[in-house]
Amino acid sequence: MTIRIDRRQFLMGSTAMVAAGAAGVMPAWAQSDSLRLLFWGGQARADRTYGVTDLYTKANGTAVEGEFLAWNDYWPKLATQTAGGNAPDVVQMDYRYIVEYAKRNAIAPLDEFVGGALKLDSFDADQLEGGKVDGKLYGISLGANSVAMIYNVAAFEEAGVAPLTNAWTYDDLMAVGEAFKAANIRGGMKAIMDGSYSEPMLQNWLRQKGKDLYTADGKLAFEEADAVEWYTMWAKFREAGYCVSAEDQALDTGPLETTMLVLGKAAMIPSNSNQLVAFQTLMQDKLGMNGFPRVAAGVGGGHYRKPSMFFSLGGTSANKEKAAEFLNFFISDPEAAKILGVERGIPCLPATREVVAPTLDEQSQVALNFVSNLGDLLGPLPPPPPASAGEIDASLIRTLGQEVGFGAKTPEQAGAELISGANDILSRA
Amino acid sequence: MTARSLQSGAPAGERAATTPSLWARIWHNDAPGYLFLLPWLIGFLGLTIGPMITSFYLSFTDFDLLTSPDWVGANNYIRMFSNDPKFWASMRVTMFFVVFSVPLKLAFALAVAMLLNRGIRGLPLYRALFYLPSLLGASVAIAILWRQIFASDGLINKLLAMVGIMGPSWISNPKTSLWTLIILSIWQFGSPMIIFLAGLRQIPQDMYEAASLDGASKWRQFVKITLPLLTPVVFFNAIIQTIEAFKSFTPAFIISGGTGNPINSTLFYTLYLYQEAFGFFRMGYASALAWVLLALVSVFTAFSFLTSKYWVHYDE
Repeated sequence: MTIRIDRRQFLMGSTAMVAAGAAGVMPAWAQSDSLRLLFWGGQARADRTYGVTDLYTKANGTAVEGEFLAWNDYWPKLATQTAGGNAPDVVQMDYRYIVEYAKRNAIAPLDEFVGGALKLDSFDADQLEGGKVDGKLYGISLGANSVAMIYNVAAFEEAGVAPLTNAWTYDDLMAVGEAFKAANIRGGMKAIMDGSYSEPMLQNWLRQKGKDLYTADGKLAFEEADAVEWYTMWAKFREAGYCVSAEDQALDTGPLETTMLVLGKAAMIPSNSNQLVAFQTLMQDKLGMNGFPRVAAGVGGGHYRKPSMFFSLGGTSANKEKAAEFLNFFISDPEAAKILGVERGIPCLPATREVVAPTLDEQSQVALNFVSNLGDLLGPLPPPPPASAGEIDASLIRTLGQEVGFGAKTPEQAGAELISGANDILSRA
Repeated sequence: MTARSLQSGAPAGERAATTPSLWARIWHNDAPGYLFLLPWLIGFLGLTIGPMITSFYLSFTDFDLLTSPDWVGANNYIRMFSNDPKFWASMRVTMFFVVFSVPLKLAFALAVAMLLNRGIRGLPLYRALFYLPSLLGASVAIAILWRQIFASDGLINKLLAMVGIMGPSWISNPKTSLWTLIILSIWQFGSPMIIFLAGLRQIPQDMYEAASLDGASKWRQFVKITLPLLTPVVFFNAIIQTIEAFKSFTPAFIISGGTGNPINSTLFYTLYLYQEAFGFFRMGYASALAWVLLALVSVFTAFSFLTSKYWVHYDE
């Protein structure tokens, strides 16, 4: 049940909420016994989530009112509700935003419930660590995932290209590009989307070179020379026809439906392991998954197991104890686990994983195996990105790749602008 | 209404004698009016004026939705004009859009209105059909349709392919993307057309007859009779359409998925404002952007009114 509100109503509503918040008026429903839950995702995720909330209501008598929105609409909604002092009791949180929300007390620490309502004794240590800000626990990871190259198995067969393995390198990527060019299947399908736009792919490439996007104190962790090298490499791929043209790539406006993979313009796209399931529902061709290419044979450490998303408690929730009980149910109840599967990533409690594993379909199994067997691809979890990382991604990384693609900027110019623009945004925040 | 007009029609002395006090008179005469006005008034004060004052205050703060706003003086405005390339980029896009879409749309609307003014059969039907796009134009569905029509394998390129032309992907090419939005705007020529049509009906036929007798060509008749007599309508349409064009948001938002891409070629001013507010939570800065837009539109409108006396001919 999505509630869609148009822009004008949204503005009016948010203004009223801000006003109500400023006057210290608490809406009546904040006191009620039921829990409110807000999350982002599509219909498939909502169906699974509501399956679990129904189960919880049946077992405990507490009603859970859920609402879901698409990622882009979710953050404005959560921010306005928080600003109005009307945040839901349970909110879905992302690694990108958790520090910002925690520092502003917009989400509540969970430590007082650990050992009580929340039983986390065997919870994966790295996933628990990922939910901490300044030593306090602010988010319970709902699953682990990793970046992954999702590829069209059927197209690979048609083009006569051998399936990928986790050992593959950027040189192999070029060979696959050549092979797709030579095979010329499906009206000139290219090997890969234009990865120069992809923040995860850039980060993975930097990490393999011993660097990263951001340092722990929120500064850039790479230099202009790296950025220039990155754009130069992709310019070469574009010219050679290994990746899609800038014009085609510009058709991708964000939703899965407009990605080069689903549009059939490229055989591979960089994505996240838990999204294989969602992509497969949009496509007839069988899809597969493996790691991002290595910068050279044997070089690893680019990937990391990250909390795909968290549940956190709303900072102003009047039902924190109950909300914590719900969280515990969500991550540990065996029946709930069967409903949720690995759609939010690989569960972080070993007992839950055992319940889930035998119930999975083929694609979910692929995702589970991929994340469990990353081997030497796996590196340490990087610190949470700074608050303005989202803006740097949207207004620099995506736009600069495009500008080089259309020939409006040289790789050298784009590299310099990425550094200066990112520093400007970071200092402004 | 009837009672009131009867009363006001009565001689002044008699009315004063029958009305006990000023307040009672106001109560009887005006209260019902204000009562009917009340729903609108509440909305106007609470939902338009209130938020406007709030946004003016917020434009001098660093409000980010989550923490309470801190006063930053004129910093937002200073940054906008001195250190924000995206502000200028979005201003260029919106200006380009206004400068091309408004005159082209008005010219097209006038041309169609003149065709329909010839007294053809089935006029009401044509009028309704041509008006239809105006009703649909701002909708999400049309923006999505537009995306399909101008895509690389869309309708336009299929038509071009029939005559052997390989069209580009219009919406995803930065050279053509803004033009697809201008064409979308021109296509919504319905409401100015209806107003032009009404204006054309007001021009006395005998002027044309006299001009024909004097041997004036059709073009000369258009330039010397139609246009001058139509200037008040042109003026009205130009103002309304210019304001609409400055405010244009939905098509660019849908067609570019809210990004203003390719390479910011469709980053309308309003879209940039939206990104700052709801993408990056810089409500203070976005409020400042909104006020600059309001100032800009006001200046444009004032300029049009001031120059109007040199080219708009009212029937004196």
